[in-house]
Amino acid sequence: MTMTESRQKHKILVVDDEPDLEPLMLQRMRRYIRTGVYEFVFARNGVEALEALDVDESIDMVLSDINMPKMDGLTLLERIPDVAPDIRAVIISAYGDMKNIRIAMNRGAFDFVTKPVDFDDLKFTIDRTLQHIREWRDALSARDKLVVLQNELNVASMMQQSILPNKFARNDDYKLFGTMQPARNVGGDFFDVIGLSDGRVGLAIADVSGKGVPAALFMMSSRTLLKGAAMRADGPGEALTEVNDVLNEDNDACMFVTMIYAVYNPKTGELTYADGGHDPPLVVHADGTTTQLPVTEGIALGVMPGFDYDQHIHQLAPGDTVVLYTDGVTEAINSEEEQLGLDRLRGCFEQDPPQGAEDAGHRVIDLVNDFAGDVPQFDDTTCLVLRRED
Amino acid sequence: MGINAERADGTVIAKADGRIDSSNSREFHTELEAVVADSDAALVLDFEDVAYISSAGMRVILLTAKSLQKSGIKLALCSMNDSIREVFKISGFDKIIEIHESQAEALSAVGA
Repeated sequence: MTMTESRQKHKILVVDDEPDLEPLMLQRMRRYIRTGVYEFVFARNGVEALEALDVDESIDMVLSDINMPKMDGLTLLERIPDVAPDIRAVIISAYGDMKNIRIAMNRGAFDFVTKPVDFDDLKFTIDRTLQHIREWRDALSARDKLVVLQNELNVASMMQQSILPNKFARNDDYKLFGTMQPARNVGGDFFDVIGLSDGRVGLAIADVSGKGVPAALFMMSSRTLLKGAAMRADGPGEALTEVNDVLNEDNDACMFVTMIYAVYNPKTGELTYADGGHDPPLVVHADGTTTQLPVTEGIALGVMPGFDYDQHIHQLAPGDTVVLYTDGVTEAINSEEEQLGLDRLRGCFEQDPPQGAEDAGHRVIDLVNDFAGDVPQFDDTTCLVLRRED
Repeated sequence: MGINAERADGTVIAKADGRIDSSNSREFHTELEAVVADSDAALVLDFEDVAYISSAGMRVILLTAKSLQKSGIKLALCSMNDSIREVFKISGFDKIIEIHESQAEALSAVGA
């Protein structure tokens, strides 16, 4: 039986004012005491029992008589949780004393045995109680670990938010706005704005595979690598090629990140971009019509070492708004289990052209939230918007 | 999510169903590994009954593709709905993993 298999010694506090129980217990349980299964300690009343529990934290369970001087067993039951909340008590009652047995059970006794004590039954009851205590302690320790893990995830989630740009430089030629609405679990979306030479600006949006701590770690390294590559590289294609090669080193976990990296030149209005297996950017024109930029036939980063990322140049007209987004937007789910889809995203701009970068960004998030309603979303919802001013 | 596997003529046909996302991608991986374990048969992964696959699920496909590639075992995917096919296209995964319209085409591509 699994109950008696445990080699761990258990300490049992026996509480009884009658002196004969102690030698009887030691004699009848001698085999289990000798083999180290049980250890017994004794108290003569409830007061002594509470003192023992207070000083000795290694006591696992209490076996207590009801009628005792100074403090009876029923009072003891009420007081045990104050000194030792995680131990369990078994009551020894007179045969047929249902009234006190009921009171004891209502006060949290785990079980009861009756006098005269049947030691086989007592052994079984003790083992069952100890088994319950072990399971209870395991559950408590699992819960504690879970709480620690959850706290760490919350920290990861905060870090994920805190590295995102939240102040966007104001200038006359163009406006920027980016926002991320995290899902319940830590996801791996990020966006970045990278200042480059000659007034150019680098814009990145990315989505790391999976969730939780692995995604957060991969996201952090992707972001750092891109920042470095963006400064050095000649263009977005070259930057993604470099990041991809580094991410492919030692990537046994096959994590990957989809990304758009674009460089905007305010002097010419040219947007040069490369896609790493990410949803293509959407351009919203001043009249609300939309164009999906052609993809550059890239592949998610971290998947294929040595891949050469291509780039395209797109000329923005004054009043054009570029919306970079992650699939948390288009794959948002409503209560009918429908996906939001690209058509709804385009639709929200076509009916009513955005007034600026910030307006466009808020529109995307509002669209997702209105569509999803109360349905919990499993993916981060992220967008980064660039508007070439008129 | 579950995987139903059948073997025929040196090929394993594995049919997944439902949604494959971060809540069950680990289970998907374990089941898929069990399907290909101790086998040198080519694998056809049929997506006919898969409604959705997230990036966590895509990662499992990638892990499987890379491990099969190392052992020189052929892999083909087939029968995807339009939105899943689009996900494979946008992510560029269709450049490194064979995808076919039907199970019959996938089977003949892996040489069954």
